Amino acid sequence: MPESTEILNALVLFANYIIVPGLAYGSQLALGALGVTLIYGILRFSNFAHGDMMAFGTMVTILVTWGLQSVGIGLGPLPTALLALPLGILATIALCLLTDKWVYKYYRSQKSAPVTFVMASLGVMFMVNGIVRFIIGTDDQRFFDGERFIIKAREFKQMTGLNEGLAIKTSQGITVVIAIILVILLFWFLQKTRSGKAMRAYSDNEDLSLLSGINPDKVVRTTWIIAAALTCVAGVLYGLDKSFKPFTYFQLLLPIFAAAIVGGIGQPIGAIVGGYVIAFSEMMVTYPYKKFVGYLAPEQWQPDGLLQLLSTEYKFAVSFIILVLVLLVRPTGIFKGKVL
Amino acid sequence: MSNAIRATLAFAVMFGLLAMVGFFQSWALALTILNLCIISAVMALGVNIQWGYAGLFNIGIMGFAALGGAAAMLVSMPPVGNAWEAGGMNILYSALMFIGTIVAAVLVHKKLPDNGWRTFLMIIVLVTGYFLTRYFYEPMVSAIESTDAAKTGYLGGLGLPIVLSWPVGGLFAAGAAWVIGKVALGLRSDYLAIATLGISEIVVAMLKNEDWLTRGVKNVNGLPRPVPYELDLQQSEWFAAWVEKFYAADLAALEGAAREAAMRTHMIEASGLFVKLCYTGLFATVLLIVLTLCVLALNSPWGRMIRAIRDNEVSAEAMGKNVTGRHLQIFILGSAVCGIAGAMLTTLDGQLTPTSYIPLRFTFLIWVMVIVGGSGNNLGAILGGFLIWFMWVEAEPAGVWLMSVLTTWLPEGNSVKAHLVDSAQHMRLFTMGLVLLLVMRFAPRGIIPERSGR
Amino acid sequence: MKKLLLAGSVMAALSASPLMAADEIKLGVFLGFTGPIESIVADMGPAAELAIKEVSDSGALLGGAKVTGVRGDTTCTDAAAATAAAERLITSDKVSALIGGDCSGVTTAALQNVAMPNGTVMISPSATSPALSTLEDNGVFFRTAPSDARQGEIVADILKGKDVKSIALTYTNNDYGKGLAESIKMNFEKQGGEVTISASHEDGKGDYSAEVGALAAAGGEVLVVAGYLDQGGKGIIQGSIDTGAFDTFYLPDGMVGDALPEAIGDDLNGSYGANPGTDSEGAGIFAEMAEKAGFKAGPFSAESYDAAALIMLAMQAAESSESGKLKDKVMDVANAPGEKIMPGELEKGLKLLAEGKEIDYVGASAVELVGSGESAGNYREIKIEGGKIEVVGYR
Repeated sequence: MPESTEILNALVLFANYIIVPGLAYGSQLALGALGVTLIYGILRFSNFAHGDMMAFGTMVTILVTWGLQSVGIGLGPLPTALLALPLGILATIALCLLTDKWVYKYYRSQKSAPVTFVMASLGVMFMVNGIVRFIIGTDDQRFFDGERFIIKAREFKQMTGLNEGLAIKTSQGITVVIAIILVILLFWFLQKTRSGKAMRAYSDNEDLSLLSGINPDKVVRTTWIIAAALTCVAGVLYGLDKSFKPFTYFQLLLPIFAAAIVGGIGQPIGAIVGGYVIAFSEMMVTYPYKKFVGYLAPEQWQPDGLLQLLSTEYKFAVSFIILVLVLLVRPTGIFKGKVL
Repeated sequence: MSNAIRATLAFAVMFGLLAMVGFFQSWALALTILNLCIISAVMALGVNIQWGYAGLFNIGIMGFAALGGAAAMLVSMPPVGNAWEAGGMNILYSALMFIGTIVAAVLVHKKLPDNGWRTFLMIIVLVTGYFLTRYFYEPMVSAIESTDAAKTGYLGGLGLPIVLSWPVGGLFAAGAAWVIGKVALGLRSDYLAIATLGISEIVVAMLKNEDWLTRGVKNVNGLPRPVPYELDLQQSEWFAAWVEKFYAADLAALEGAAREAAMRTHMIEASGLFVKLCYTGLFATVLLIVLTLCVLALNSPWGRMIRAIRDNEVSAEAMGKNVTGRHLQIFILGSAVCGIAGAMLTTLDGQLTPTSYIPLRFTFLIWVMVIVGGSGNNLGAILGGFLIWFMWVEAEPAGVWLMSVLTTWLPEGNSVKAHLVDSAQHMRLFTMGLVLLLVMRFAPRGIIPERSGR
Repeated sequence: MKKLLLAGSVMAALSASPLMAADEIKLGVFLGFTGPIESIVADMGPAAELAIKEVSDSGALLGGAKVTGVRGDTTCTDAAAATAAAERLITSDKVSALIGGDCSGVTTAALQNVAMPNGTVMISPSATSPALSTLEDNGVFFRTAPSDARQGEIVADILKGKDVKSIALTYTNNDYGKGLAESIKMNFEKQGGEVTISASHEDGKGDYSAEVGALAAAGGEVLVVAGYLDQGGKGIIQGSIDTGAFDTFYLPDGMVGDALPEAIGDDLNGSYGANPGTDSEGAGIFAEMAEKAGFKAGPFSAESYDAAALIMLAMQAAESSESGKLKDKVMDVANAPGEKIMPGELEKGLKLLAEGKEIDYVGASAVELVGSGESAGNYREIKIEGGKIEVVGYR
């Protein structure tokens, strides 16, 4: 067999198991981490309720999706959930603004220490957690409909004649496309619009920005609205790609935090990079390179072992190991943190 | 209201609540809750040392508690001879390789000048060490784990009395805290939080997956107890005599079979209570020792220095105090206390269950205790530990009761009613959140606040 | 189900009152209503309560005693909370026996710290750890789920029958998954097969790309998924099919259920497995009953129904609701000789026992208790064909 087929096989293998899922997972983490980082940049605390806000938004979206499906409204090959998404976003925004009004606002007026906010967000986390389970229950919910695949592994094999297949799911495609659109929108907003500039100024130097006549309440409100929208979209995309379960969303909090911090907390660009760093490192460190090397290495060098750096059991720990390493080498995160 | 009165009142209410459980539910339940309350209080004291005294934000309590739990198992379980034989010399070799790698890396770091070569050499040493260690480690692991996997499959422990494990658990936690502190203290304050969160996740991941050491998710059951077993008590004559004396009035009226049956019931009940009281005694002793040390430390010159650092780091540093050094001390001490509590908890459970270490229960709940009780105040932390654990356990029956009361006006068979009653268990989280928010809003310094301005 | 749940829970709540009729019997439904397996328990709890309601409504138990279920939350993971909940059920609610616990860890904690000292019978529907077989239990612990050790042999036999030479193995990272995986690996290797990789997956994570990648890289003819069908196990299968990593899967007991082919679709055709069962029609009857009551016949729900039924049948046989007496009768009512009792026929069973006749409770999961009171492990070999589970034989 010619050498080039072997190389192609190896590349497709890599794309199928690492690049494609990594891009989708990374995008979901990045959107989540963007929300965390915006809150941190403006309100100056780590929002532990983030995972459960995601679950709340997704839950509303699912309920609306079911409603639409029952009256027969759909998007053809695309999932119906995309139609329901705006309502989910609105609900998440409402929830965020309400919690801000009832909980966080008081502590802002008291000029409380950041850790007080963190504790308060913990309280909000517990409550939203209870509410979500209360409404939709604890079960696994799948709400994906429409065409499942852009390319199927088997079709790809027939098309190219390669040993290895490449599959791209619709949900993965949608995730990446939406993530790119949202990120562009966000940066445009932060760089070009008045409110965006106000947000950046506020994040950079609160006192100075107040002196120059920026309305802090408006900045905080805008931040919550944007963060809520990002949060809800991240949750829905994750749910579309995998499945929705309240418990899963609570667990997502940890990799999302890791992503935000590795990138440099408070830094939107950092959150995006952090999301992909966490997603790809989780996969690459635990991937056994046996087959991959098998395609590339000459006959007599075929590996016996799995060539796995860490077993998948430590997948979860990988994001934290990276986090600790980044803190050791570059304590501010990849991009220097705490400026929008 | 002065603090002393406030504290007395708060504890009176707390013990009143426990007494109510005793009267309305059962004394066994009240004591079970009390024992866990004490352990929670010790853990909350540990966090209070870090947060209340020095403003260190540790969200890795779970990891320190888990290390304490592992210590309880490693100290108390009998060693598994077959597994040691199966592992053979590879155990020694891989340990040597691991230690050698660390020592070599540290030497390179210390002895060579700081330039690109040093980093390069470090990486070489670490990578070589990793593969050398794995060379001996992997056959060792598979040999040990396959010796009677269903029952043992791990090395076992030292077979010593389990009470010894409490200080050992503290030492384990202190060691981990030293490493974390060296890495993260002195950087921006929230990085300590992040580092502790990360390390605690890694510690638990290791407990779950290093089966040769901890049996992983298969759990280690039946840790030896520091107190007698109920079944032994029920067989023993001295205990029977004791019960007979205690319930004499009750038994006097009965005869024959009825008397025997009543006696049996009393024996079962009394043996349970006796064992729980033994635990209570042990745990309360630890709590008192830790509390005394805390109070002494807080009122010593050292304690004043620590609080001075907390209140104004910059000026303390200007006065020539070694802020990072003191922080490291505090962090290690607080973590050690958490480790001790973790070992006590595993002792009470009688088993090591790595899957039980989840941040919700072991990190966030403890934080709620400290904040609600009153950070910076030892008694406050203890009260928080008691109160919050009490609510954590009692929220479930209370939730069910509340739901059914709230829905009595709905007709039988109404689906809304059924759904509400069905979801009662989830009210536990909701209640915890609500309590936390209410306390933070209306009593922001906790139920028993720190005394200030002395 | 709604009605039933309502009844169960309201009574649970009211039972806190000290006033209680003399002929009222309470059973603890001691399962992980919150925590990692809360979605499975959402069907296990109602299944146990279904049996309780059936008996209570029949009025045939101990001369017309009412039976109610009192729920207690094991949380599945937190031994301390589980111990406290068991303590409450036994000493405060004064339940006669416990249906539960669910996860092996909390089950052993509650058994050793609470149930054994109080002499309260526990019948676990889902704790499968082999360690529980040898644990000192003073005769109060039983389980309607077979030990992992037995299933490992079955899996190896079936795979050998299909002439499979190499498998990849993934398990849910808890005592059930790990214990089963080790048992499968040992038995399969004993028969000369090769296990290319044995990798765990965590339930409740949602993303399994890394695990699927690792399994695919290791390769193997069949992927054995020792997990739960509505948890990580499903995620792994979905991921493997999506990426084209594996086509054929072996499904152990936690993975066999109609929900799986429904969720995955036609791609699952050709996969096979086995779950506890005999050629009795019990499972089918139970599935219908579950549907009528409004819950799914999910993993371990049949075992939950059976656990509850066994306790109450043993009470009838012992003519007492006391754990100390009924514990000696559990094995008698579960095993031959006697008339076979199917799910939904509890009234008949109770009446036969009242007449002094013997019964052999078959139930929803073909209960057969052996040794120290655990399920013998008769297995039903199945395959997925046309999106449906088809039974192909019995082992």
